[in-house]
Amino acid sequence: MPNEWQTVLDEIKNNVSEMAYEAYFARFKFVSNEGGILTSSVPNVFIKTQIDGKYHNTVLDALKVAKYDFRDFKVIIDGNDKPTVKPPKEILPNERIAPTFTPPRAISTPKRLQIDSNGLNPKFRLSNYVVGSNNDLAVSAAHAVIENPGMRYNPYFLYGGPGLGKTHLIQAIGNEILERNPNMNVLYVTIEQFYHEFVEAMRKKLDGFAEKYRKVDVLIIDDFQFIAGKEKSQDEFFHTFNELQQHDKQIIVGSDRLPAQIATIDERLASRLMMGVPIDIQMPDFETRCAILKSKAELISAEIDDKTVEFIAENVRSNIRDLEGKLNQILALSELRGVPTYELIDDSYITQSSTPTRRKTISVKQLIDKVAKYYNLSPKELLGTSRVKNIKTARQISMYLMKEELGLSTVEIGRELSKDHTTIMHGIKVVKNNLKTDFNLREQITDLRQKIYTS
Amino acid sequence: MEIEVLQDRLAKALNAVSRVAASTKAGLPILSNVLLRAEDNQLTLTATNMEIATVQYVNAKAKKNGTITVPAKLLAEFVSNLPKENVLLSAKDEKLVISAGKYKSTINGILADDFPELPKINEEEAATFKINVDIFKEAVNEVIIAASNDTTRPALTGVFFNTFNNSLFIAATDGYRLADRKFVEKVQSEIKVIVPTNALQEVIRSISDNVEEIEVLITDSQIRFRMGEIEITSKLIDASFPDYRQLIPKDCTNIIELDKAELIRMTKVAALFARDSGGSVVCEAKKDEGIFSISAVASELGENTSAMGANISEDGKVVLNSRYLLDALNATVEGKIIFGLSGKLAPVIIKNAKNNDYMHIIMPLKS
Repeated sequence: MPNEWQTVLDEIKNNVSEMAYEAYFARFKFVSNEGGILTSSVPNVFIKTQIDGKYHNTVLDALKVAKYDFRDFKVIIDGNDKPTVKPPKEILPNERIAPTFTPPRAISTPKRLQIDSNGLNPKFRLSNYVVGSNNDLAVSAAHAVIENPGMRYNPYFLYGGPGLGKTHLIQAIGNEILERNPNMNVLYVTIEQFYHEFVEAMRKKLDGFAEKYRKVDVLIIDDFQFIAGKEKSQDEFFHTFNELQQHDKQIIVGSDRLPAQIATIDERLASRLMMGVPIDIQMPDFETRCAILKSKAELISAEIDDKTVEFIAENVRSNIRDLEGKLNQILALSELRGVPTYELIDDSYITQSSTPTRRKTISVKQLIDKVAKYYNLSPKELLGTSRVKNIKTARQISMYLMKEELGLSTVEIGRELSKDHTTIMHGIKVVKNNLKTDFNLREQITDLRQKIYTS
Repeated sequence: MEIEVLQDRLAKALNAVSRVAASTKAGLPILSNVLLRAEDNQLTLTATNMEIATVQYVNAKAKKNGTITVPAKLLAEFVSNLPKENVLLSAKDEKLVISAGKYKSTINGILADDFPELPKINEEEAATFKINVDIFKEAVNEVIIAASNDTTRPALTGVFFNTFNNSLFIAATDGYRLADRKFVEKVQSEIKVIVPTNALQEVIRSISDNVEEIEVLITDSQIRFRMGEIEITSKLIDASFPDYRQLIPKDCTNIIELDKAELIRMTKVAALFARDSGGSVVCEAKKDEGIFSISAVASELGENTSAMGANISEDGKVVLNSRYLLDALNATVEGKIIFGLSGKLAPVIIKNAKNNDYMHIIMPLKS
């Protein structure tokens, strides 16, 4: 009668603390109910004493709730019940919504993630991932991984600033692989989950931690930068990594930074992560931002006009999460006030919101100061005529940023920097060209943009 | 509660108690606490991890009876650092105030009501015997090394207490070796129980110098050791132990008397060359030359042979795991030992030369 016994266990669970339940009732089992004597078993005499003593009435009440018919209740000791390894607890609530579920206007209702036991959110697909110049390399590598997991780009190391779509992309890879090979064991975890499970396993001396991770075919690790300072986890991850790679299992890592830039990371781990090609994701350009906004709006079946899309794309340049936030904000406000979205564009509430927006506070002088500070120069040096390479580069970068971020013309920039406008044109061209090939430069510019907009 | 107790006595008791409290695997916070009970002129300290429980009685002056539980480790560490004088423990609600001279601290605890009840023993029904502390230590140490730590075979993770021909024997095996030792003679009751090794280790650690005798009480589900002011209770392992007497060879073709210290040295040296081969060393007896030798070959490093003179009745050769051989030798008492060799595939017996109380059997490796 396993079902009735489950009722008993559930009932007990409701009446004692969780830890007391774990300690005393985790291995409380039904044995028989014959001749009016209901027999149950526990692993040892210490636990029997608790159940016969303090918890006697709790158990009797629970047995009554389960409608057991008995005269006498007995607890025996059964040590042959071997300790079994418990599956790791689900970290995220196992709430499921039908995939087709679309709220009429999902804007103001909090969205719940649908999480499968493999940790993947099935909503993240390649089909709803907007490809632009900022991420085309990452996406084509992703396709290669999906076609032949474990063969090329292993590890697939994806890095880029927060909110640029790393999680979406690496989860999409997992989902696509699963769709093609339903028998593959795909696991998505954040480094935080990995760490907590690891600590839990160590603390409770549970086996099965290493097995869980070492038997997967595709391991997807997100937020890898948080491994900084967790030495034991690094060790464990290192061994897991080696084991998987030796067996040609695919490893996919998402991180804010390159391994080498993560403080206190073990060198051997960092070098292994660089074995595949590290691929970065940049902030999408204006057109891509527009496409993303449209795709997001479509996903929640909201109507939005081009003018609004352009307005948001123009104003939000920090990351995609902010982009989505702004979109949701406008949609919510439009619903609330019952006016079409484009009428809200000039609304003071929208423009003054907390999202960092463009051209709000920054002046030419502030920009120059920031660039100078970033490169450890004085503004005077930066504006001077020195031909020293790093000063020259910094100067060209400020030209580029003035054009891109402040929207000034080359003539205006020339006036500000006391230079000829052809010099400015050349400088911007140099930066633009280098951006295509120079990863370092791309990062510096991303950093600078962040600094400009977050002050 | 309010009770006054001498620092050194309290520190010693807490030290032993906190070991048990710290080893808790269950997540129940109260299990890492020690239960303090002040009653008349006695302070009782109790800790359990739901497999072992230890109770310590300390003479003290109780001004007010009562109970409380507090984190064992913290209290133990605090008290051990106090000066040697009277310590006053006073509890109110869920707080324990400890003061000694100029030191004073308050520790947050949990009410004693939540502390698990300890199993009771019906002393009239229990099998009881007494044993000298030194014999207990020696016997347990001789046997415990052969116990397995493979939890998938629970029976082998403990020490088997069993009566045979009116004597109590203790035995342990991990399937590759077996140790058996006569424990107590003339025991009235019939005993067949498996005691967890960690309980025995805890008993050995808790024995203090002034104790001479241990009283043991055994029921079908638990075992209790009483020694002086300490009482340790453990669950028994509920499984059946293999019929190990069947495994003991009836007699050996070649009984060789060897010096223990010399044999240990030879085994250690050979073990250096046996690392590649999983510790396997060759033990060989040669009748004509009258020598006993141990050798090992490491294909890359080289090889080693050491020999000593011995009185040998027949040629013989066996391959053993050097680690098991060393464990067995280290467990036996000093002096001469008997090395019983029967053939390539027969188990080897190691015994004291003086008496037959202890026997260690090692299964040979196939060479």
